[in-house]
Amino acid sequence: MTERSDPIEEMKTSISTTESTPVELKSPGSRWLGGRQRSFTLSEGNLFLVLAVIIGLFSGMAVVCFRITIEWVRLGLLGSALAPSPLRVLLVPATTGLVVAFLIQKFFLAARGSGVNQTKAAVYVFDGYVPFRTVIGKFITCSLAIGSGQSLGPEDPSLQMGAGIASALGRRLKLSRDKLRLLAPVGAAAGLAAAFNAPISAVLFVIEEVIGTWSAGALGAIVLAAVSSAVVMRSFLGGEPMFRVPPYTLAHPAELLAYAVLGVVGGVLSIAMMRIIAYLRPRLRDLPPWTQYVQPAAAGLLIGIVGLRIPQAMGAGYPYIDQALHNQYTWEILAVLGFAKILTTSLSFVSGTPGGMFAPTLFIGAMIGGAIGGLEHHFFPQISASVGPFALVGMGTFFAGFLRVPITSVFMVVETTGNYSIVLPVMISNTIAYLISRKYQDVALFDLLAKQDDLELPSMEEQREQAVLRVEDAMRKPESVSLQAGDTLARALELAETSPEEIVLVRFPTGRWASVTKKELNAQASNRSKETQLRELLSTARIPILHPDQRLDDVLRHIQGHPLLPVVSRAGSRKLEGVISLPDILSAYKKAT
Amino acid sequence: MLLSLIPLGLLFALTVTLARTYHAREEGLVQEWFQKGNEDLATGQPGRAFEDFRNSLSYEPNNDLVQLRLAEALLADGRLSESRAYLVNLWDRSPGSGEVNLDLAHISSRMGDPEQAIPYYRAAIYGSWAGDAVGQRRKVRFELCEFLLSRNLLSDAGVEIAALSAELSPGEAIQHEQAGQLFLKDAQPGKALEEFEVALQANPRQNQWFEEAGKAAFDSGSYLKAEAYLAKVSPENLSGPDSELLDRVREVLSDDPFRQGLNEDERAQRTWHDFQAGLDRLQKCSQSSASLLSADQTAAVQDLNRDAQSAKKQIQLRALRTNPELRISAMKLIYQIENTTSHYCGEATSIDQALILIQQRHAGNDQ
Repeated sequence: MTERSDPIEEMKTSISTTESTPVELKSPGSRWLGGRQRSFTLSEGNLFLVLAVIIGLFSGMAVVCFRITIEWVRLGLLGSALAPSPLRVLLVPATTGLVVAFLIQKFFLAARGSGVNQTKAAVYVFDGYVPFRTVIGKFITCSLAIGSGQSLGPEDPSLQMGAGIASALGRRLKLSRDKLRLLAPVGAAAGLAAAFNAPISAVLFVIEEVIGTWSAGALGAIVLAAVSSAVVMRSFLGGEPMFRVPPYTLAHPAELLAYAVLGVVGGVLSIAMMRIIAYLRPRLRDLPPWTQYVQPAAAGLLIGIVGLRIPQAMGAGYPYIDQALHNQYTWEILAVLGFAKILTTSLSFVSGTPGGMFAPTLFIGAMIGGAIGGLEHHFFPQISASVGPFALVGMGTFFAGFLRVPITSVFMVVETTGNYSIVLPVMISNTIAYLISRKYQDVALFDLLAKQDDLELPSMEEQREQAVLRVEDAMRKPESVSLQAGDTLARALELAETSPEEIVLVRFPTGRWASVTKKELNAQASNRSKETQLRELLSTARIPILHPDQRLDDVLRHIQGHPLLPVVSRAGSRKLEGVISLPDILSAYKKAT
Repeated sequence: MLLSLIPLGLLFALTVTLARTYHAREEGLVQEWFQKGNEDLATGQPGRAFEDFRNSLSYEPNNDLVQLRLAEALLADGRLSESRAYLVNLWDRSPGSGEVNLDLAHISSRMGDPEQAIPYYRAAIYGSWAGDAVGQRRKVRFELCEFLLSRNLLSDAGVEIAALSAELSPGEAIQHEQAGQLFLKDAQPGKALEEFEVALQANPRQNQWFEEAGKAAFDSGSYLKAEAYLAKVSPENLSGPDSELLDRVREVLSDDPFRQGLNEDERAQRTWHDFQAGLDRLQKCSQSSASLLSADQTAAVQDLNRDAQSAKKQIQLRALRTNPELRISAMKLIYQIENTTSHYCGEATSIDQALILIQQRHAGNDQ
C-alpha cells in the first residue's frame, strides 16, 4: 500500500512540473483564418467568447459520453431492470467499489469527491488550472461508481469535467492568467448545463457558488458556454425536460401553508444530512491509508444490503423521482425511500467514492416532499390536491436547504420540469428551508467540505451575507457652509476663516462641485482683486460627487487625491447631504470590524 | 484555435457513435420490456406487467403508449390513484385520445365518480382512435349506455342508445340486437322491438332473438307480434316462463273484445266471457278475504260485489250484442274488479292477468 497523497498537493506538483507559464495574448488580438487576401483578428475578449462556445461544445459532448457510459456500465453490471437481481445488488456496488478505490488511489487522486470545491479551488488557488488527468479520472471512476449503484449523481462530476476541459483548452491557447481563471467557471457551467439539461440553473449555480459575482465579463462567456453545451446535449439525448410532471393548480390558498411545512421539514432534514457528512467524512479520512482502498467497497456493500429491500436507494435515482412525481408511492414508502437515500448517499459520499450530490439531493427532496404531501393529504384532504406537486417542490426545497443555493434551487425546479405554475410554492418552501438551514448550520456544505480538505476557499454565502458599508455609514455633516461659485474672493476668505476645516467646498449652479484650501484662497487674494469671483478662479476645477447609498468599496477608488468630497442627494446634486474624507472611510471600516 | 477543431471533430465522432449505439440498445430495451408487459397483462398478471412497463418507460419516459399500458396495468391491479396520475398526465398532452379518455372513464367509474366518468366516456366516443376507430367508438358508446343504465340515469341512457341505434346499418344484426337489449333495460320496449326486428331481418336464424323480440312486443303491448315471434321460437328453446308468456298473449288476443276485425257477436261473446271471469274472481276474493282484510278493505270488496251483482242483471249476452256502450261499461266494471281484487287478494293469474293486460292495451281509449 502506498501512502495517501493529498490531491491538492498533487495538483500543485502538476502545475509546477507540467505546465508552461501562461503567456499574455498579444494585444489587440490573435490572427486567425489568415490568408493573403483576407485576415480576421480577434481581441482577447472576443476570442474568449468564441472559446466559450467551443468549451460548451466540448463539454456538452463529453457529458453526453459520460452519461451514456454510466448507462452502459449500469446495463452491464446491474442489468436492464429497475430492480436488479439480489445477487447483483449485493455484489456489484461492493466489487466495483474496490476497483474505483484502486483507480482513485493509484491514478486519479484528484477525482475524489463531488467536483464543486475542486473547481472553486481551481479558480481561487490554482489560477484556473484543472489537470486533464482529473477529467479522465472523473469520467472513468464516476461512470463505474454511479453505474454500479453507488448513491451519487453525474452532475457535479460533469461540472468538474467541464472546468477541466475549459482549463485544458485555455492552456493550449496560452491565455492570460486572468482569462484562465475565468475559464474554469465557464467550463463548469457548460458541464452542469449539459448534465442537468438546465442552462439557466447551471449559470446561476456557477454564479451563486463558484464565482459569487455577476461580472459582465464572465457572465457572457458562462451563458454562451452553458447554452452551447445544452444544445449539444439536447441534440444527442433529446430536448425533453428531465422530469415529466403532472399538471398542477393550487387547490386552495391554505395549500401554501402545507408547502411551508414542507420547507420546515426540508430545512431540518438538510441540516441532519449535512451533520452526518460533517461527522463521518473526516473520521473516515483519518483512518489508516490502506482503508481508503476498501471504504468505497464497504459503502457499496452496505448500499447493496439496503438495496436488497429498497433498490430505489441505489444509483442516481431519476426514474424513481419520476415515479414519485406521478403518485406511484404511498407517503409511508416515500418517507422510507427518502431516509434510505439519505443513508446511502451519505455512505457513498463519506467513503470518498467519486460522484455528485445533486441527483441524490433531488431524490431525497422528492421523496420527503411526496411523503409530507401524502401525510397532509391524509389528514387535510381539502387543502392538498395531490402528492406529485409536493414531490416536485420537495426537490427544490432540499436542494435549497442542503446545497444552500436558493436562487438556483427555484430555477432548477422550473427548468428540469418545464413547469412554471409550481413556482409560487417552490419559492415559499425553498426560502423557508434555506433560512432554517442557514440559521442552524453555520457553515454551508461546500464550505464545510473545503475546510475539511484544508482549503481556504471563499464562501460565496458569507460574501452574499456580508454587510455592505455605504457612504452614509461614513459621511459626516459639513462643519462649515459651502461656498458658492458666485462668491467673491473677499467673501470666500471671510467664510473660510470661520471653517474649522482646511478645505472648503465650492458649489456651482450647474451642480458641479470643486474644492479649495484656505491656503490657496490666501494666495489668490494676494495676487488678484478681492472682487474676483470664485468661478473665475476654479473655472476648470471639478471633484467627484458621491451619493449616500454608494458602496464605500467603490468610493475608495475615487477618493485618492481628494482630501474631502461632497455627498449630495440623488434628487439634486446641489443639495449637500454631507462630506467624506479618507479618515472617515477608514474609521467606518474600523467600526464595522 | 483551429487545432482545437481536430479533437472537437474526434469527440463528435465518438459521441455520435456512442449515442447511436446506446439509442439502439435503448429502443431494443423499450420494446423488449413492453412486449413482456403486454404478455403479462394478457396472462392476467398486472403486477408483473406494471413492473415491465415501468422498466420500459425508464428507457423512454415520454413514450405515451408505454405510459398508457402502464396506467392500464395499474388499473387492472387496482392501483387507481397511481393509474389516474399517469392518465391525467397523458390526457394533458393528448386530450383527444380516445383510449386515454376511456381509461379515465373506467377509473372515475371505479372510484365512484360517475359525474366525472360520463364526460370522459363522451370524449372517448368523439376522440381519436388508432385502427378501427368506428368500431372502437361504437364499443365505447355501448359501454357508456350500460354505465348510464347501471347508474339508473335512464334519460341520458335513452339519448345515447338512440344515437347508437342511428349509427348502425341494417346489416349489423348483432349490434341491433344489443341495442334492443339496451332499450329494454331503458324501459323502451317499443324501440327495443324495432331493433330486434331489424336484427331478425338481417339474421332470421337466431332463435333466441325471436324470444327477445316476443318479449319486447309483449312489453310494448304488441300482442299480435308477440304471439308471432314467440310462436317462432322452437319448442325445445322455449323456456317455462316464455311458454307461459305465449299462453298469456294468446289469452289476451282471444279475450280482447275490442280487437280489430271482430263482429258484434264475437265482441259480445268475449265481453260476456270476461265478465263471468271477473265475477268469479270477485266471488273468490270476497270469500277468501274475510279473515285477511281490514274492515275497510272488506267493505270495499263487498261494495264492489254489490255493484257487480246489480250490473249482472243488465249485462246479458243479448244486450251486449246490440249495445256497444254496454260492452264498454261492462269492460270498465271488469277492469275495476280485476284491479281491486289484484290489490286485495293477490296478483292476477291466467285470464285475470290477461284482462288487466287488455285494460293496459286500451288505456286512454274509450273502448
